[in-house]
Amino acid sequence: MKKTKRMIAMLIASSVASAALVGCSTPKTVDSGASGAAQSGKEATGKKEVVLELFSSKSENGEILKQLIARFEAENPGVKIEFIAPQDAGTVLKTRLAKNDIPDIVAMGGDATYKELQGAGMLEDLGNEPFMANVQEAYLEMVYRLNKDQEKAAYGIPYAANACGVLYNVDMFKEVGLEVPTTWDEFLDVIRKLEAAGKQPFELTFKDSWTGLPMWNAMAADLQPENFTNDRREGKTTFVDTHQEIAEKYLEVLKHAQPDFMGTTYADGNKNFAEGKAAMMLNGNWAIGEFKKVNPSFNVDLFAFPASNDTNKNYVISGVDVLFGVSSATKAKEEAKAFVAFMMQPEIAQEYVNNQFAFSAIKGAEQNDPTVAGIKADVANGKVANFPDHYYPSGFDLAALLSEFGLNVSIGKDEKESIAELLKQCDEKYNTANVN
Amino acid sequence: MNEKRGISIAYYLMTVPMAILFFIFHTFPFLQGVFYSFTDWKGYGAWNFVALRNYLHIFKDKDVITAYLFTFKFAFFATLLVNVFSLLLACGLNAKIKFKNSLKAVYFLPYMLGTLIIGFVFNFIFANVIPFWGQSLGIKALSINILGTKSAWYGILFVTVWQSLAFNTLIYLSGLQTVDKDVYEAADLDGAAGLKRFFAITFPLIAPFFTINAVLCVKGFLMAFDQIMAMTNGGPGMSTTTISVLIYKRGFQGAQFAYQSANAVILFLVVVSISLVQLKVLEKREANLK
Repeated sequence: MKKTKRMIAMLIASSVASAALVGCSTPKTVDSGASGAAQSGKEATGKKEVVLELFSSKSENGEILKQLIARFEAENPGVKIEFIAPQDAGTVLKTRLAKNDIPDIVAMGGDATYKELQGAGMLEDLGNEPFMANVQEAYLEMVYRLNKDQEKAAYGIPYAANACGVLYNVDMFKEVGLEVPTTWDEFLDVIRKLEAAGKQPFELTFKDSWTGLPMWNAMAADLQPENFTNDRREGKTTFVDTHQEIAEKYLEVLKHAQPDFMGTTYADGNKNFAEGKAAMMLNGNWAIGEFKKVNPSFNVDLFAFPASNDTNKNYVISGVDVLFGVSSATKAKEEAKAFVAFMMQPEIAQEYVNNQFAFSAIKGAEQNDPTVAGIKADVANGKVANFPDHYYPSGFDLAALLSEFGLNVSIGKDEKESIAELLKQCDEKYNTANVN
Repeated sequence: MNEKRGISIAYYLMTVPMAILFFIFHTFPFLQGVFYSFTDWKGYGAWNFVALRNYLHIFKDKDVITAYLFTFKFAFFATLLVNVFSLLLACGLNAKIKFKNSLKAVYFLPYMLGTLIIGFVFNFIFANVIPFWGQSLGIKALSINILGTKSAWYGILFVTVWQSLAFNTLIYLSGLQTVDKDVYEAADLDGAAGLKRFFAITFPLIAPFFTINAVLCVKGFLMAFDQIMAMTNGGPGMSTTTISVLIYKRGFQGAQFAYQSANAVILFLVVVSISLVQLKVLEKREANLK
C-alpha cells in the first residue's frame, strides 16, 4: 500500500515537473484537498507540501488574486495554492458539488450560489477566527441573511463589495449644466433637461436581460416595504400589493432610453456610453473597466439611484462581490484559514480594491478612485442596501420578466396593463419557484 | 465453430465495445436522470424521494407550458421550411446546371460550421449590420435588432433553416440520384412533365427520404438549443425559450435539477411519440404511393 502510494507520488511529481518544463498549465493530477499522494509528493525536500485549491467565481479579479497568492506562498513555504476561475463558475461549482469535489477555499459572490453552498452544509463556520475583527459588520450582516434560516454564523467572510446605481457621463452633465440629482423629482428634471438639450438620457442594454436587474434592485431597495423579503417568502405579501410604484418608475426610465434598447447588448451599450452617446447608464461599478477599455479618458462617476423623494431612503446598492469560504471537508483547514487571514489584512485588502474599483468590506481599506467618488461617502457611512434579488428564490427568473416588460413598453402596449401584468407574473413565478 | 455459424467474431468486436461505451456514456446517465426525476435532488447534497411531485408540478408551471408551445411552433415551421427549400435546392442541383459543384459547396458550408459559431455571427449581423443598413436606407423595420423584438423568433428561424438546409438537401439529392432515368423517359412518353412529373413520379419515389428528413427535422428542432443560447438566451422575456433551453437554465442555473430532469423525461417521451407517429403515418403514405 505504502509502496503504491509512493509510486503514485513519484509519478505525479515527475508529471508535474515535466509539465512545468514544457510550460503548460498545471495539470489536474493534484486532487483538491491535500490528498495523501500530494502531501507525500515532495518528501524529497524534507518538508510536507500542502496543496490547496482556490476557486474563484469572478473572472475580473484573477490577476490580482494570483499576485496575492504568490506573496502568500512566499511567506508560507510548504503551502501551494492552485487558482482556478472557470467560465460560468456558478454552474461549475454546482456540478462539482454533485461529485462531492469541493474546492478548499472559495472566493465567490454573496449570491444564490453561496446560498446553495452554505445551505448544503459545505462551508466551515469561521466566526471564531481572529481576523473577524477586521470585517465590517454591515457586510457581515448581509452574508448572515443569506445563510440557511439566516443563522448568524460566518460561513462566508465578506471581502469586497460592488455598488450599483446610476453611472453618469460627468462631462455631459457639466455641458448641460446639471447637478447630481438626490430625489426622484430632481431626477425627472435632469431627464427633461437632457432631452431639451438633445441628449439621450439613458443607454439601456436589455438584449442581455440581466442588465434589467441592477435598475430594479436600485428601485426596490429604496421603495419596497421593510420586511418584504421575509414576508414574501412566507406568502404574507405580494408584488402586486407593494411594487406598483417601483414598476411605474421603472417604466418611466424605459421611456427615456434609446429606441433600440431591447436589441442593444451589454458590450455595445458600454461602447456607446463610453463614446458619449448617452448621459446615464443603470448598472454597477463593474462596468467601469469596460468603459475604460473603449475610452481610457472617459470621465464617469456613480450616484445612488434616487428612487424616492425622501433622500434618506435613496441607498447605494452594494452587495458582497467577493467573500471567502473554507470547505468543511478540506483536509488542510489550518492552511486554508491562514490564507483567508492573510487576505483579510488591511494592506492586502487595500491593494485588492485599488486594482478592482471595488469597495472593501475590511476595516482600514478604502476606495479612493475618482470614478466612484460619488458614492464613497454613502458607502463609508453604511448607507447601503443589498441587492433585493439576492433574496429571491434562485429559480425565479426576474430578468426574463423585466425583459418582457421592456418589450411591452417598446411596442407601445398600454402602460397600466403592462405594469399589472408584470406584477402579477412576478407573484405567479415567484410562487412557482418558491418550492424547495 | 465460427465457420459452422458463419459469423465471425470480428463482427462482435466491431459492435459490442461501442454498445458498452454507448451504455456507459449515454444510456446510464439517461437512466440516472430518470431516477433523479423522482427525487428532490438539487444537483448536489442530500436528497429524498418525492414520488411524482416533480411531474405534477410541471403541469402547474406556466413557463413549461409556454416553452412547449413555442417549441412546437418553432419545430413545425422549421421542419416545413427546411423540407420545402431543401427539396427545391436538391431538384435544382440534380439538374444539369453549370457550377453545380461550387453551388453544392456553398450550400453545404453552413453545415460544417458549429451552430454556436453561426449563432454568434448572426447575433452580430442582427445587432449591428442590418440596423446599420436599415438606418442608412431609412427602412424602419430593419433599423432595430430583430432579436430584441416580438419577432425575435423569425431571426432564429431564419438562421436555423439556413443552417439545416445543407444536410437535408444532401439527403434529398442522394434520393434523387436513386431514381432511375428510365422512369423519367417512360413518364415523358406518357406526357408527364414539369410539376406533374414531380408530384406523380419523383416525389413518390423519394418518399422514404422525405420520411427520414421529416422525422430527423422534427426531432432536432424539438430539441433546439445551441442557436437560441447563442442568439437570444431565450429572450426577450420568455418568448424564444424552447423546452431544452428552459431545462438547462432552470436545471443548472436555478438549482432545479430533479424537477428539470422530470421535464426532460417528459420531453423525451414527447419526442419519441411524435417520431413514432410520424414514422407510422409517413411510411403508410410511402407504401400507398408506390
